Order: sequence, then C-alpha cells, then structure tokens
Amino acid sequence: MKAAREPVAGYYLNLELLGRPHRLYVEEAGRGIPLLCLHTAGSDTRQYRGLMNDAEITRQFRVIAFDMPWHGKSSPPAGWQTTEYRLRSADYARMVLEVCDALALDRPVVMGCSIGGRIALVLAMEQAARFRAIIGLQSGASIDPYYELTWFHHPQVHGGEASAAYVSGLMAPTSPDADRWETLWHYMQSGPGIFKGDLYFYRGADGDIRERLSAIDTRVCPLYLLTGEYDYSVSPEDTRAAAERIAGVKFSVMPKLGHFPMSENPALFLSYLKPVLAEIGTRG
Amino acid sequence: MVRATMALPLETLKDRAAGDALLARFGLDLDCALLVGDGDTDWLVEIARGAIVRVTKGPFIMPKTDLRLRAASDTWKRFLEPVPPPGYHDLLALRRYRRLQIEGDIRLMSAYLFYLKRLFALLRAPGA
Repeated sequence: MKAAREPVAGYYLNLELLGRPHRLYVEEAGRGIPLLCLHTAGSDTRQYRGLMNDAEITRQFRVIAFDMPWHGKSSPPAGWQTTEYRLRSADYARMVLEVCDALALDRPVVMGCSIGGRIALVLAMEQAARFRAIIGLQSGASIDPYYELTWFHHPQVHGGEASAAYVSGLMAPTSPDADRWETLWHYMQSGPGIFKGDLYFYRGADGDIRERLSAIDTRVCPLYLLTGEYDYSVSPEDTRAAAERIAGVKFSVMPKLGHFPMSENPALFLSYLKPVLAEIGTRG
Repeated sequence: MVRATMALPLETLKDRAAGDALLARFGLDLDCALLVGDGDTDWLVEIARGAIVRVTKGPFIMPKTDLRLRAASDTWKRFLEPVPPPGYHDLLALRRYRRLQIEGDIRLMSAYLFYLKRLFALLRAPGA
C-alpha cells in the first residue's frame, strides 16, 4: 500500500475557555465558508474524518473540528483530578462561541451531532445571528432515559468498553463494519467518566429544552435537522417532535444511518449532507 | 398444553459460539448463568471463562441466575431478521422501546455487554 497523506491539519490552540486556560486540539481541512463540527459525547474530532477528506466539500468549506476539553487530544483543565467532569448546557454553548472567537470565524456554519445536536438547538435559540446556518444531527430536545449512567464510570467496569457497548446498537446494522468499529474505538479511548459527564446536561433538566424551541427564528439563521433512522437514543420521532415546534425548520430522516452518521458510514452521510451544504453555499 | 417454539435457536447457540473471535475478545473471565425467555419457555445458558458450557431448556423451578433477558416471541422473531427493522436490531433497542425485560446483575451486563450482544447476534446468522 502506497502511503498517502490526508489533507487534514491538526494543531493545538491555547486559549481561555469558561475563564480558565485550556490546551485544545483542533483539526481543519479546506478553505471557504467555515463549518464548525461538534463531536458526540465521549468521542472526538476523528468522527468527522469523512467530511475532512471529501474534496468536493473542502473546495467550498473550511471544515473545523475541535476535541472538547477532557476529550481526544485536548487536556482537561489543571486540577482535574479533584473534580468530577459534568458538562452543563450554558458552558457548552459558551465554549462553542469562545472557540469561534479564538479562531476569528465569521458567521460559521455549525454542525453538531447528539449532544452537539442538542447544543445546535440551543445556539439556534440564543445565538442565531452569529451563525450562517445550523445543522443538527440526531437532535432532540430531551431524552427518554432507558439505561443507567452508573456503569460508565465505575472501578469494576471498563468505562470505555461499557460506553462503546451501550452506544454500539445506535448505529445502522448496514453501516460498514470497519467504520462502526472505528467509531466504537473512539469511545473505548475516552477518558474515565467523560461520556458520563457529557450526558449530565443531555439527560438532565439542565438540557431539556422542549418548552423553549418555539423561540428559534429560522429567518435569522436557517436550521436543518437530519436524523438517522436506526438511532433509538434520538429517534426520528424525537427529532420530528422537536421540529414540529420550530417554524421554518428543515427536517429529514436519513435511511440506513444511526446515531453517528458522519462516522459510521461517511459516504452515505455525505450523500444526505451535500444538498444541505449546497443550499447553504448558494445562499452565502 | 402445547408450548410455542422458542423463536431464538438457542439449541444451536453452543455450536454457533464455538471459536467466535468477538466472544473471545470480549468474554475475558466471564462466568454467568444467563436466563433467556420468551414469556413461555425459559432457557438457561451457562458460561464459564467466556465459553458456553451448557444450554438447557426449561421450565426451571428455582434456577440460580445472574442475568435474565425476556422478550415476547414476536419480538425475538423480528430481532432475528437478517436486517432487522429499527428498534428491533439490538438488545438495548429492544429495551429502549420496553420490548425486553432485563433483570439481574446490571454491573455484569455492562461489563460484558459486547459479549452479550454478540451472543444474540450469532443467533441471527444462518447455519449451525
């Protein structure tokens, strides 16, 4: 096999997030309209490898993804050893804005999946004017809990393997094996308690935005919601229920995909995403 | 009384599981008495050090079990389809829609969830 370098560049960004110094890992590919991508709970930027390697997209879009603090190659803040990581909705939204500011992004498109899909809705509610368009993947306004969080961080259970096993069924059975297991590997590599900490806002009252959705004004910022049909954490019905409360939203179901569309089957996902990006690109 | 046939081909499980690489990878040190039911018939799957040592058809009077998974026969049938419909394609998908009853040692289940999911997925494949 001939070695081939991907057109993806990674770097570290030292910046202040939530009032504290952080060392953040960022990946980028392409030029043009900034497209900031938010990974799922307990994972990292590698989920967007398909997007970053697609020449058609990177000709028009500057695809950017960052590992959230505590995730991937981003460090936790100093002193982490005496704290329990718990992501809160307001902090998450603020962090996205602070990264946009640090990178001087001019009205980027933001696209997030799962917890990133939830925060996409929050940004649409609260910060619409700052974005060119918002894309929510597997976006829901709340979660119907069907599992315990205890075992994602417990000395008697391997948290990475348990987290990966819990999310494994959220992918479509037809997604390619190699991409499914790559997606799971990211979960297995997650730091102790991080997946659980991400779900703090996602499953709790802090993140339940059902009653606030009607405040989203899609005339200020277009909102697209795409949901894979095999996802039972945020099912198409869950996204539809959210979409019904938002005037002007564009919602579609993605057949043969699940909770990790960009990572479990990048090629199929891009076939659903490209018409959305084309529409955004045309509008400018 | 005529009992319905258990939809899951559990009588073939031991053969299907023998030599499976994923079970070997994720079954390290697993000891478990797993009860699988369809609301009519119960089966007991005994696992030692990750290997299936015995699969027994009930009924049982007071079985000693670590984990009990029961779903309606029709649910198991749809789970077994080569490409199951959304909501029937995974053990936790069944649980999410309240189609699967899970009782017992949830710590054990969480630690070995890949193994358990693989075990049930093996029942889907033809053969054995």
